This record gives sequence, structure tokens and C-alpha cells, in this order.
Amino acid sequence: MSIAGLAAILMLGMAGLGIGQKSSIAVAQDKASTVEVKIDNFSFGPASLTVAVGTTVTWTNRDDIPHTVVSTDDPKTFKSKVLDTDEKFSYTFSKAGTYPYFCSIHPKMTGKVIVQ
Amino acid sequence: MQGRRGSPLTLYRAARVSELSGVHWIRRSDENNTEAQLIHRKKNDEIIHDHNNDGIDRRGFLKCMAWVGTGTLCVIQGGVLKSYALSRLPGMTAKEAMGEVSFVQISDSHMGFNKPANPDVAATLKVAVDKINALPTAPEFMLHTGDISHLSKPEEFDTVDQILKAAKPKNVFFVPGEHDVLNDDGKQYLERYGKGTKGSGWYSFDKKGVHFIGLVNVMNLKAGGLGTLGHGQLEWLEDDVKHLKSSTPIVVFAHIPLWSVYPEWGWGTDDSAQALAYLKKFGSVTVLNGHIHQTLQKVEGKVTFHTAASTAFPQPQPGKADSPGPMKVPADQLRSVLGITDVNYVQGQQALAVVDSTLA
Repeated sequence: MSIAGLAAILMLGMAGLGIGQKSSIAVAQDKASTVEVKIDNFSFGPASLTVAVGTTVTWTNRDDIPHTVVSTDDPKTFKSKVLDTDEKFSYTFSKAGTYPYFCSIHPKMTGKVIVQ
Repeated sequence: MQGRRGSPLTLYRAARVSELSGVHWIRRSDENNTEAQLIHRKKNDEIIHDHNNDGIDRRGFLKCMAWVGTGTLCVIQGGVLKSYALSRLPGMTAKEAMGEVSFVQISDSHMGFNKPANPDVAATLKVAVDKINALPTAPEFMLHTGDISHLSKPEEFDTVDQILKAAKPKNVFFVPGEHDVLNDDGKQYLERYGKGTKGSGWYSFDKKGVHFIGLVNVMNLKAGGLGTLGHGQLEWLEDDVKHLKSSTPIVVFAHIPLWSVYPEWGWGTDDSAQALAYLKKFGSVTVLNGHIHQTLQKVEGKVTFHTAASTAFPQPQPGKADSPGPMKVPADQLRSVLGITDVNYVQGQQALAVVDSTLA
């Protein structure tokens, strides 16, 4: 279920109490539209990330070695070019699902994005 | 694993191995006293234990291994394992020093890397070439075990080719590292270095009766996995060695270690056991790898595994840091943790003599 649908149900439920839930959920949704993942010390942080459909995730390489961000499915949902230090890669998740990914240069580095 | 020359770690390691092999430990104060070392060595250098009847004195070989990294050359000649301090080499004849096949391995030049661990990797590669050119007898050829470039950029490959032109050995045999096949699935690497190779760049060649096999284990890496050779390459390998006599010395070179050095950091190859199974019949197998930016060696039966230092930057010992990234050392110590590997083989003998020396 999307957050918009959940928000609608909550608002209907809260309407009788006159509590202003609407604005805080809307704000929460704005904040959730871009999320950062930091690449450092041969790891993705956070390694497991849950986001809403429509969120853009941006990976930034803070390590002193290049890395990539490549989904493990076939055909690949996303595949970054090589990211040197301070370079970024972004992907907007338009479909719900679980997206495991890894660094194709250092395959022991793994992470996943859960899109709800 | 080797400590840096002259550090307390080197002393400790030498002592430990000597306990195991029953050999006296040479005092550090004798390091520059080649006379004292020669007298000591004359007493201790000849093969006296040949339990496996294969001409290899394993205790003697282990003793030689203890000195690897402190600049000692071990050569097997006429069935006798002899060790010489590198400082004594100018006094030796070329035949004494060289054996019959002589080559150098360099690795992990990472051209394009410019972070604090080494802001000038071109300079240290040039020092490595100078070191090679200063060897008493010029090696016949060189092996580069990969990570030639840092970001697979054309100018990075060009710079390495340019610097290596100044080396006396004109023939260089390459295998790719994972940094050489970025962005294009190795297409550029093959265009530059893939002539005469199969698949993603594997091949074999012969030099004076020694069979060299270059393997590629950095393609199609799977999430959570290690290096991988793949089915096609393994089939080729089986066929490549099938008709060779078991007395043929084998040298295998590949980027990622073909034995399990430290899987947590990806330092191993998923399917190398299959490759080694195809080489089981041979009396002498030497495996030369890179990738881990430090020298490590292991002898397992008739197989000697050896990893080379990088010419660019060191990496931590397994498990000794959070991650296997570039390790910073004080600038004046950098060259002592980078290095080249000199390898000699004498026809008729089994083990190859593998000697690491640092750029310091």
C-alpha cells in the first residue's frame, strides 16, 4: 500500500478527532522523496534501506577507492558507472519491490533497497 | 606475511620459522656482514632432507622463504638449494645468479590513483622499473598481474605502457585486474592486451620448457562472491594442460589470489579448486597473484602460492583494518612497502625461486 493510501485512511480515521495529521504526513513524504546512502570503508550505509515508491536514492562515494552500484537482477534495474571519491549516482524507484544490489568491483559489498 | 625490512616484526617472523625448520637465526647485526652470513650459510644450505624423494628439501625451502622480503635470492642448482644475499649478487656469475628462466612480476600499478596513500603512483612505478633494470642479470620478460590502471581510463593505460618501455625486459605479459575492466566489460583491456588470448583474456605460452598460464578471475563477479574463473575458462585450462608431461614446470598468474587468503575481503577465487585439480599431476606449480597489495606465500604440496606487493600503495594485512582499502604509511616509508618480485627457474629442478624486494 502506498503512503498516500495509508495517509488517506489515517486522515479519515482522525477527522473526528480534529487532529492535524495531514500536514505532518505530507511533510514526512516530502522529506522521504530523496534519501542518501553513503559508500565508505567498502560498505553501503545504510546497507538496508526502506523507501516509498517514487523516492530517489542517491549514493555518494566517500571512500578513497572507486565503487559501483549495480542491481543484482537480470536485466539490471540500475547500474551506475564507476564512482570515484565524491561522485554520486541516483536512481528513482517507481515500482515497489526489493532491490538487492552490490559493488561490481568489490562484490562482497552488498546492500538492498526495499520499496513500499 | 612479511614485516618491513629491519622492523621488529621481521625479526620475530624469522625466528619463528627458524624454530620450525631447526635453522639458526642470523643476528640482525650480521645483516651487513656477508662474510659471516656466507660461513653460516655454507653450513646450512645444502639439501640434507629429502623425505619425499622429489629433490626438494622442504625445510631448506622454508628456511629460504623466511628470508624472502629481506632481499635474499634462493636458487636451486644441481639439486642443491642455495641462498645468496642480494648484496652479494654482483659478485656472482650470471649463470649462478640467473638459473635458466628469469622473469619479474609487477602488480597493481593503479595508474590514476592520487589519494594520500600515494599521490604519485607514476613515480613509484618508475622506481620499480629502475629496480628491475638494476638487477644483476636482466630478466627475460615481465608479468603484470593486473590493476594496471585505476579507473580503466585510456590515458592511464597509456602512461603505464610508456613507463614500462624504459624497462630492459621488453616483453610484458598482462592479466587484468578488476580496475582494468570497468564500464565496458573489459572491451578496452582486450583491445590493448588481448591479442592471442581467449575469452576475457586468458592464454598460455612456453619459455624454455616452463609453461605459463595467464588466467582472468575478475569478470562477471557475483554479488557477495569472490573472484571467479568461470566454466569456459576452466574447460580451456583442462584442455590446455592435458597433454603436458607432469615434469613440466607450471607458472599460473592471475590477479585475485587463487587460494583463500581472506574471503571476508573478497581475497580468494570461488572456483580455483577446480583449476588446481587440473594441475594436480604436475611436479612443480607456482601461482603468482596480485590484488592484495602485500607479499604473502604458501606452500601446499607441490604448489607454491605467492602474491606480489603493489607498485602503488599497500593494503592492510587480513583482518587488521575495517576494510581492505589503501593504507597510509609515513611518506618516507612508502617505498619500503611497495615492491617487485624476481623469479628464477633452473631446468631440471622443481621449485622456482621467488624473491620479493621492496622499492626502498
